[in-house]
Amino acid sequence: MFDRIPAQTLRLLILLAVFAGVVLFFAAVIDGYLNARLFNRISTSVAIIALIATGQAFVVLTRNIDLSVGSVVGCVAYFVGGLLALWPGMPPLAVALLAVLIGAGFGAVNGFLVARFGLPSIIVTLATLAIFRSILVQSSDGASITTDSLPAWVPGFAQANAFTLGELQLRWMVVVTLVVVLAAHLFLTRLRAGRRFFAIGSNPDAARFAGIDAARTVFLAFVISGALAGLAGFMFLSRFGNITVVAGLGFELKSVGAVVVGGVNIFGGSGNVIGVLVGAALIDLIDTSLVRWELVSEFWREAVLGLLILAAVVADALLSRRLMARRRRAAAGAAAAAPAIGEGRT
Amino acid sequence: MAEPVLEMRGVSKSFGATDALKDVSLSLMAGEIHALVGENGAGKSTLIKAMTGIHRPSAGTILMDGREVAFRDSGAAQQAGVAAIYQEPMVFPDLSVAENIFISHRDRPQLIDWGRMNEEAAEIIARLGVRLDPRRAASELTLAEQQTVEIARAISLKVRVLIMDEPSASLSDHEVRRLFGIARALRDAGVAVLYISHRLEEIFALSDRVTVMRDGRHISTRPTAETTQAGLIAEMVGRDMAGRFARMPGQAREEVMLRVAGLGRAGAFADISFEVRAGEIVCLSGLVGARRTDVALALFGIAPADAGRIELAGQAVRIASPKDAMRLGIAYVSEDRRRLGLALGESIAANITLPALPRYTGALGRIDRLRELADAEGFARRLNIRAPGVTVPAGTLSGGNQQKVMLAKWLNMAPKVLIVDEPTRGIDIGAKAEVHALMRALAGQGVAILVISSDLPEVLSLADRVLVMREGRLAGEFPGETATDEAVMRLAVGAV
Amino acid sequence: MSERGLAGRLRAQLASWEGFLLLVVVLLVALNAVATPYFLTVQNQINLFQLSIEKIIVALVMTFVIINGEIDLSVASVMGLAACAFGWLFQQGMPAGLAVAVVLGIGILCGAFNAFFVVAVGLPSLVVTLATLIAFRGMARILVEDRGIGGFPDWFNRLGQQPLVGPFPMALLVFAVLAAVAFFVLQRTAFGRRVYFIGLSREVAAFSGVDVGRVKAAVFVASGLVAALAGLLYAARVGSVRGDVALGFELDIITIVLLGGVSIFGGVGTVTGTLLSILIVLNLRNGMALANITGHIQTGVLGVLLILSVMVPTIRGWAARLFGGGEAVR
Repeated sequence: MFDRIPAQTLRLLILLAVFAGVVLFFAAVIDGYLNARLFNRISTSVAIIALIATGQAFVVLTRNIDLSVGSVVGCVAYFVGGLLALWPGMPPLAVALLAVLIGAGFGAVNGFLVARFGLPSIIVTLATLAIFRSILVQSSDGASITTDSLPAWVPGFAQANAFTLGELQLRWMVVVTLVVVLAAHLFLTRLRAGRRFFAIGSNPDAARFAGIDAARTVFLAFVISGALAGLAGFMFLSRFGNITVVAGLGFELKSVGAVVVGGVNIFGGSGNVIGVLVGAALIDLIDTSLVRWELVSEFWREAVLGLLILAAVVADALLSRRLMARRRRAAAGAAAAAPAIGEGRT
Repeated sequence: MAEPVLEMRGVSKSFGATDALKDVSLSLMAGEIHALVGENGAGKSTLIKAMTGIHRPSAGTILMDGREVAFRDSGAAQQAGVAAIYQEPMVFPDLSVAENIFISHRDRPQLIDWGRMNEEAAEIIARLGVRLDPRRAASELTLAEQQTVEIARAISLKVRVLIMDEPSASLSDHEVRRLFGIARALRDAGVAVLYISHRLEEIFALSDRVTVMRDGRHISTRPTAETTQAGLIAEMVGRDMAGRFARMPGQAREEVMLRVAGLGRAGAFADISFEVRAGEIVCLSGLVGARRTDVALALFGIAPADAGRIELAGQAVRIASPKDAMRLGIAYVSEDRRRLGLALGESIAANITLPALPRYTGALGRIDRLRELADAEGFARRLNIRAPGVTVPAGTLSGGNQQKVMLAKWLNMAPKVLIVDEPTRGIDIGAKAEVHALMRALAGQGVAILVISSDLPEVLSLADRVLVMREGRLAGEFPGETATDEAVMRLAVGAV
Repeated sequence: MSERGLAGRLRAQLASWEGFLLLVVVLLVALNAVATPYFLTVQNQINLFQLSIEKIIVALVMTFVIINGEIDLSVASVMGLAACAFGWLFQQGMPAGLAVAVVLGIGILCGAFNAFFVVAVGLPSLVVTLATLIAFRGMARILVEDRGIGGFPDWFNRLGQQPLVGPFPMALLVFAVLAAVAFFVLQRTAFGRRVYFIGLSREVAAFSGVDVGRVKAAVFVASGLVAALAGLLYAARVGSVRGDVALGFELDIITIVLLGGVSIFGGVGTVTGTLLSILIVLNLRNGMALANITGHIQTGVLGVLLILSVMVPTIRGWAARLFGGGEAVR
């Protein structure tokens, strides 16, 4: 029966089922688990990681990887914080735009090196992970940004609600992320420009035959990844206020994790950002909930996260192998029929 | 007749010293199905690549509607209305059928109207007389369906010349009939279809005119109705006998070294039975797609057989991996030198000793470099491998010398059964003669040799016996002395 | 003809890459020696190695992994897990000697775990070891939570901190022995030969009767084992363990290996290259420390070097075009 559902939809359904299962599980083992505070807390932290993961998804779709996003988040949070300390009067929208632009600039460096010179993205972004971080350290001289040095609206933004429904609060941050994810989803599914990302990851040779400019598309993917990491950097600043040189450390792995759990093929070509959003939420849900589960300590978070990513990849590989096998059976059936004709002819 | 849509005038193409195309002229008319036939290596693929902008001709001109054109790349050829589909379809497995059809349309609006796109795709597919859901992902389609998608893509681009390169090679009978229907529909719509196939009965069932190529030259073009299978075959193989290698006397001994009975692998080949004696050279002939290599892969344990039995010197054996095969003394020299045969970045010596590495290792697994080099140098001398030394990377050698390194690699394990797949493909005539002499010498030492070759003169001069395969089955057998070009070709193409 | 050109250039470049690295090493040593009179003293050199000893030990085995055409991002987490497992076992009352043996066993298991998913399930090692990077680190945190565990037996700490033979501490001797073993195995044995062939082309190796899966599995298991050993050495050197032992080391380790001329695509590189790269990195870090450049920035400089090292073919093309050396470009 599952054969009739497209693979992408099936993946998303399975992911949602797992998500629901995890929620139910924790609700069963933790007293007073399902409450508004849980939603408020998880939604805010998902807002940040989901943005980064959405950018990462663009890169992974094209058969690349961006390991530098954590450093970009840290850099942008720090630079924007520093600029705000200098000019507290900057309008909020300009600040957010600035964050996006700085992030896009970092992404452009990655994109240029990967797309223009054909260097392997894993090496380039491994190096820029270190380089961007060292730029941050160099320019900060070890000093931190503190909440006190920021205009009040900055930490205020992280607390601001767009809607409230009883205890449930939907923060502006969350709304922004949802809008971005939705926009990314529409871009990737509705615009011809968006489909290029899939085409390149799906079959680079055929993409060349079809006249798709691979270098430009890959460059764009890295710029998008950088820009969204920049926006996430601004949110990070707003949420935490205190920014040290280690800000954003580890986001690269979490974002790749969310992308993979969200059903994007690590070899490119397939996936969707709604899945990535759910993947990010699932990772954060487990992260947050384990802290509150008395049976295990909060220190189980990482181990569970790692195994979750592995499980997601294995499940995905098995699923797509099943599809491949089905296709091959059909093809083999065709080939097996061939000799029979030959005999008919002689 | 009307003006040709596409015309080639005196087109030549050479790669280095070899001429793949020599002064070929050919016209394709609107509304005709034009068949192109020739042996493997006759230059058909190069011709197609010249038409579709993948290769630039070294000489000659290509005209469309009487105007000279020079396609920058295959994209430019497509925009001009020349498209090709190949045996292996070029599709995006993750994208839907409809998207695959419209991906290279630059004039469509940025915003995708999925409903309309699916409708338009369905319409085009329907025009081909096929049923296919435009929303399905290409990865879920069969090969034949993927081909249909490619044809639909070409139609949507208002194709005027559609080249079909061996489109039927891996299709079922039913699918082939459907493909014929599509080709005829295209012809009736005024498209010039260039149809390349090894299956002569397809040519006669489908085409209006047929062109024969041989050795990179255009031999003849005439209405299909005015030709016969025998006539075509004669033109395909007809070469001057002077170019032929002299036959050498057989050295087959009594002892049967390799015997296979009822060998089969689902989806590849079935009911293959033959034997090779010690000192005998048996050639497995047939056209591309006859599944000869699959038989070799089964004997070497890469893709083990799932039916039948294999006997080695009278003993029934099981071969489940290359290791099994090698332990039994079976060596397989692959046809794909670059991908499967040699690690081009490694030295000649390391490549030669790889299969027999345990023989060179002493305490702690240390390789005896001196012995390794001495053996490699021995082979270099014996096989006349021209190289500055055996420590240079194999990739620095010419094709012929690489071929000899590959042979050395397998001779080094002193095989009892040597399977050689296309022993002389793409190497020059001198090296070819050397390789042939070497195989004769090996046979003289009692090695049982199975040669897979698409090169008919080679088969006829080398073989003690010729087996012909077609579409996964043995079609017949000839003693080496009495086998002729035409007899072998007739069996290979399945002519009546 | 173009084959000859390509492979010949490749080889010439490889040969010159190691020569170039050697030149850089000499230059850096000279600069350091001029800047600090006592730089070349034995004690200073030992200190230099000791500071990064765990990383450079793992870099040796990483050379195998990457030449084999794979990657192991989980090494630093295995180091952390090993150190923490040792601390935890010791705290539970296990004799330190036995704990060492058990921890090495854990390292083997970690490697086998990675190998299972890469070889048997057939997943890309990048993804598998990314997941186990997180998972193994997580297990380390489960064991020690946010505590620090110390108070190891004297003999254990002494091994990590005191000279063992002459002025040389044990870790340095371990490194020396492992470097010799790595060189021998990779450049001189049949196993090493198979590692190269698999990295250059799995298909050619498989068609030549090489058991690709077994070699790959062995390399991953060795990676786990050596990483665990390095984790133990860390515990002994520092005298205590925490959940973040060796956090992020994988990047430094991979950078060292790639800088040494090992291709990320496999099949190319040598232990000698890695050793030269280790010398460069250590000397560079020493020089930068002298110039008051901090750790994060040092890593950034290494990042720049890493990009430059993969851009060498491009840069040579530029240079050739600039100086009109038509032959080299082509």
